[in-house]
This record gives sequence, structure tokens and C-alpha cells, in this order.
Amino acid sequence: MMGRTIFIDPGRCIGCQACVSACRECDSHRGKSMIHLDYPDEGRSVASFPTVCMHCEDPVAPCAEVCPADAILVTADGVVQQADTTRCIGCANCVNACPFGVPKIDLQAKLQMKCNLCYDRTAYGLAPMCATVCPTGALFYGTLEELQAERPGVQVADSFTFGSTTVTTGVAMVVPADKVQWPVPGGLPVVEINGKDVR
Amino acid sequence: MHPYRGRVTEPPKTAEPAPAPGPAQGPAPGTPAAESPPRTPAAVRRRATLAGTAVSVLLILAIVFGSRLLRDFDSALLPYAVATVFLAFGVAYRYTVWISAPGARRLFKQGRRSFFSAANFRKAPTALPKMTATYLGFQKFLGARSHARWAAHQLVFWGCLLAAAITFPLTWGWFTFTSSTGSGPGYEMRIWGFKIIEFDALSVLGWLMFHGLDIAAVLVIAGAAYFLWRRMRDRGAVTGQRFAYDLVPLIALVVVSVTGLLLTFSSIFLHGGGYEFLAILHMVSVVFTLIYIPFGKFFHIVQRPAAVGMQLFKYTSRRKDGEALACRRCHEPIDTAPYVENLRGTMRDLDLGFDEWAEYCPRCKRVLRGNAYLDHVKKGF
Ligand code: HEM
Repeated sequence: MMGRTIFIDPGRCIGCQACVSACRECDSHRGKSMIHLDYPDEGRSVASFPTVCMHCEDPVAPCAEVCPADAILVTADGVVQQADTTRCIGCANCVNACPFGVPKIDLQAKLQMKCNLCYDRTAYGLAPMCATVCPTGALFYGTLEELQAERPGVQVADSFTFGSTTVTTGVAMVVPADKVQWPVPGGLPVVEINGKDVR
Repeated sequence: MHPYRGRVTEPPKTAEPAPAPGPAQGPAPGTPAAESPPRTPAAVRRRATLAGTAVSVLLILAIVFGSRLLRDFDSALLPYAVATVFLAFGVAYRYTVWISAPGARRLFKQGRRSFFSAANFRKAPTALPKMTATYLGFQKFLGARSHARWAAHQLVFWGCLLAAAITFPLTWGWFTFTSSTGSGPGYEMRIWGFKIIEFDALSVLGWLMFHGLDIAAVLVIAGAAYFLWRRMRDRGAVTGQRFAYDLVPLIALVVVSVTGLLLTFSSIFLHGGGYEFLAILHMVSVVFTLIYIPFGKFFHIVQRPAAVGMQLFKYTSRRKDGEALACRRCHEPIDTAPYVENLRGTMRDLDLGFDEWAEYCPRCKRVLRGNAYLDHVKKGF
């Protein structure tokens, strides 16, 4: 987890799309929204689920690792940047390797784009667009101490499991106190347990 | 590593021993990340040094023999020639290191296979020339980013190509311009000693031959100036911009072109005034630029042609099977099956233990994670 980072609490998300609109205003990818707002159980539940780049720390940025053109830079502060426009060849390796389903690609322009934690803002100490406009605090930007000062007793987790792999991230999620011991399930469907098909 | 690592609300040891399924593999993914800082293994470095040495030796031989055992070699251009030898070493070295990393190596191999496949050639003989022209030559995809960026890049691209086509063979002593009639205006151009054309220095062709570099400089200045302006004004371009990586190449291009033009200016209007000084300034900027090519932004010039292989691979596998691999959950197409298999191989090479996840589309990955959070973390939110 990074020092100042985004904390996501899907429990507070009301699916209002303010973050989606605000993201579009970000100067580093003006006109294109990079945040994803999904409705996982649409039709049965009003639950909505915002996804920003999680800025994976260990393994560090799978998107950058699979990139054949070394186009994705991870800056010293742990922020995984969008693809370098000069290098990106639009192969979509990052799009399909990202365990969180974050990067987008413009096939015409042969260019990947993704959430870069509003680097033009956060590098100067401002909060990212999405966290700035979120009316319910589902997206919070700051340090863990700042979050806990506002929401006493809140617990967060920054590791996610995909099958047998655990990915530790720079962005964290709010979890109930009794779930802190376990990495958050990443959603990769469990197909078999001890060789038994459980689909 | 991070100051907050230890201050996460979860018990610090959690990530390693806790994951319920297959704890034996828990720490495994961490290992490659921990080893990643000294990124280039010794074997790759050795291979790269070998490739660099081989290519530079070949270039030296080509210079010696191409200049008819240095008879046509212009010793005034020696620093430039030496710089090209260093350039050859640097490019071969960096190229080898680059295509040794898993992601690049696998796509490179697939591209090469598609490139040399006779079956592919028979089925679509025009695919490769078409991609080379639209992608490498005219960079049509840049138009989708913005028309101005496309136009500026075309200026820089053709300007540099023209300049390289003139200067490289000259510095290597491959071209000579000699006058058969003493003081002109009849000139002949020879390549490796063989006469190619004869022209009148005062004709249009003659003017173009002697001012090719000035034309190139004007093209490059126009393109580079636009990019420089954009890097001052466009907030998107400015974000995360680095001086050495983003600004130095543009400044280098402008300095090379301006000092080159000033040489012409000096010889035409100043009777050679300041020529010596300008010549040194020009030489220093060119030598710097050539040696910088393998390390910074200019490396894309060498990298880009390989991307044609990637496209050919995607194109031919799309034609062959027709069908894309469908997302396991929503059945929307992801990409061609050979491409996804190639990516999964790359992920396994990198010890990214979730390569089967590549068979789900990005949206389903997010939705499944949302569902897992709903079901297992915070029931019903
Ligand atoms: C002589 C050859 C070339 C030279 C001198 C050259 C030079 C440059 C320079 C100086 C930039 C930086 C522009 C900026 O500041 O943003 C650039 C960007 C770029 N180049 Fe090249 N280039 C060459 C060949 C190519 C080729 C063959 C391709 C691809 C087929 C290519 C693709 C790109 C792309 C995609 C960008 C990013 C442009 C953007 O998104 O605005 N270049 N090039």
C-alpha cells in the first residue's frame, strides 16, 4: 500500500457515475474516462463496484511485466503509469494480463490507456478526480491514518488472491474487521479443490 | 519497501502464509519481483555484448570495403563514422536485451514465424507490404491520436530518413561526388566506386542533391518544433514528462538541424564565416544524438519494425481460425486463440500464477471480483 493512496469501499458506492464523469476531466487523458463502474449483480442487486488501477506492488505491475515494448513505467512512488505513447504498440497484453481488468485500449490509435492515479494532480498533493467528487466516500484519497481518523475502526486490505497467487497492491479496499486476516478474493472462479471439480 | 507496508491494518504476515488454497505456492510469486532490480541476467548481457561486437565489426568491415579500402573515405568525417560504429554496438546490444525479456521474446518469435511462413505468404501476399507502408512508413495509427501529431511525426520521420540516407553512406565513404570536368558543373555520383548518375550541379537535380540535408533539416525543425510546443502546452503530454526522455530528443533534433542549416547559411551568405565553429557544434550534436539513440526515446525507431511482426501474427491467426477466443463467462471475443495462448505463456514465464484469468474479459474479471466481494467479504455490501 502506498503512503497516500485511494481506499475503495464498495459498500458506500451508490453507482451515481460522478467518478466516471470526473475521470473524463482528468488532464492526462481528457475526454476519456478510465475508471470502471460495474454493477455485478445487475437486476437483482443495486450493488455497484468501482475499479481504479490497483497499482500492483507484488508482483509489481503484471501489466508492465508482460509488456513487450517496456512501455509501462512504474514511478518510484509506486504509481503504475499509462503506456508511453512512443513505445506502446497496442498489443493488448496488459489488457488481458491485468488481474483486475483495468487497462483500456484504443485499437485505432494502437495505444493503451489506464488510470494513473491522476498523476497530474497527485504528484502535486491534490486528490484524484474520482475521490474528489465521490459523494459518499466510496473512493477516499489520503493516508491510512487520515482514513481512520475519519472512520474510526475501519479496516483495510491490500492483498487479493487469484487462484494460488496473492497480489499485493498500492490501492487498498475497505473490509469488515473479521475479514482482515484473509486476502480479498480476486474473483477468479475456483474450478477445483484438491483435484475435485467444484464448478 | 514502502513506509506503510508494516502499518496495514491486517497482520503484517498475512500475505505470505495465509492463502487457503495451495499455501506452498504462496511465496513463489514474490520471488521474481524481489529479484527484478538487477534485471538483465549475465547470460543475456554476454549475448548482447557478442551481438553488439559482431554488428560493429561488420560495420567496420563494410566501411573499409565500401570505401574501397578507405580510398574514398573522407577523414574529415571520421568522428561521425566512429559514432555510427558506437551506434551499431548500442543498438545491437539493447535490441538483444530487449527481445530477451519474456513478453518481447514470445511475440518476437511469433512475429518471425508469421513473417517467414510460406503458407501465410501464399494466402495474403500483400499483408506484409501493406502493413509496412501504412504502419511503418505512414504511421496511419497516429492520425487516430491527433492529426497534428501525425503530421508532425511524418515531418520528423521523413526528414530524418532523408538525412540518414544521405549522411550515413557519405560518412562511410560509400558515396562520392566527383567532377569529371575539373571545376564542374558536371558532377558524377558513385556508390562503392560504381558510377550511378551524372548531373549538372546547376540543374534542379543538382540543387536537390546538394541541398538534400537542408530540406531534411527544415522538415525536422517543423515537426520537432510542434512536438516541443505540445510538450509545453498539452496537459496530457506534460503529465509525467521527463527531461532526459521526452525533451532531450526533441532538443537534439532541433540543434542538429539548426546548426546544419547554419553551415549552409555560413557558406552562402558569410563566405564561410564561423564555419569551423559551427562545424564542430554540428558534429558534437550529431555524435551525441547518434550515441543517444539506443538509450532513450529514439530506441522506438529500432523497436517499431518488430511491431509489424506482432500485427502480422494477430492478422494471420485471425485469418486462419477465423474465430476469436470467447470470454469464458460472457462469451464476448477477447482476441485470437493463439494470441491468448502466447500471453498465457508469457505470464507463466514471469511466474504470474493466474494466467487462466486471461481467458476472461476485463469486464468479467471486475464483475467476478465484485461478486466475490459481495459474497465473501461484505455480504450484500
Ligand atoms: C527516423 C525515424 C523516426 C524518428 C526520428 C522518430 C522521432 C520521434 C520523436 C522525436 C518522437 C517524440 C514526439 C514527442 O515528443 O511526443 C516520436 C514519437 C513517436 N514515434 Fe517516432 N520516429 C521515427 C520513426 C517511427 C516509426 C517507424 C514509428 C512507428 C511505426 C514511430 C512511432 C512513433 C510514435 C507512436 C510516437 C508517439 C507519438 C505521439 O503519440 O504523439 N516512429 N518519434
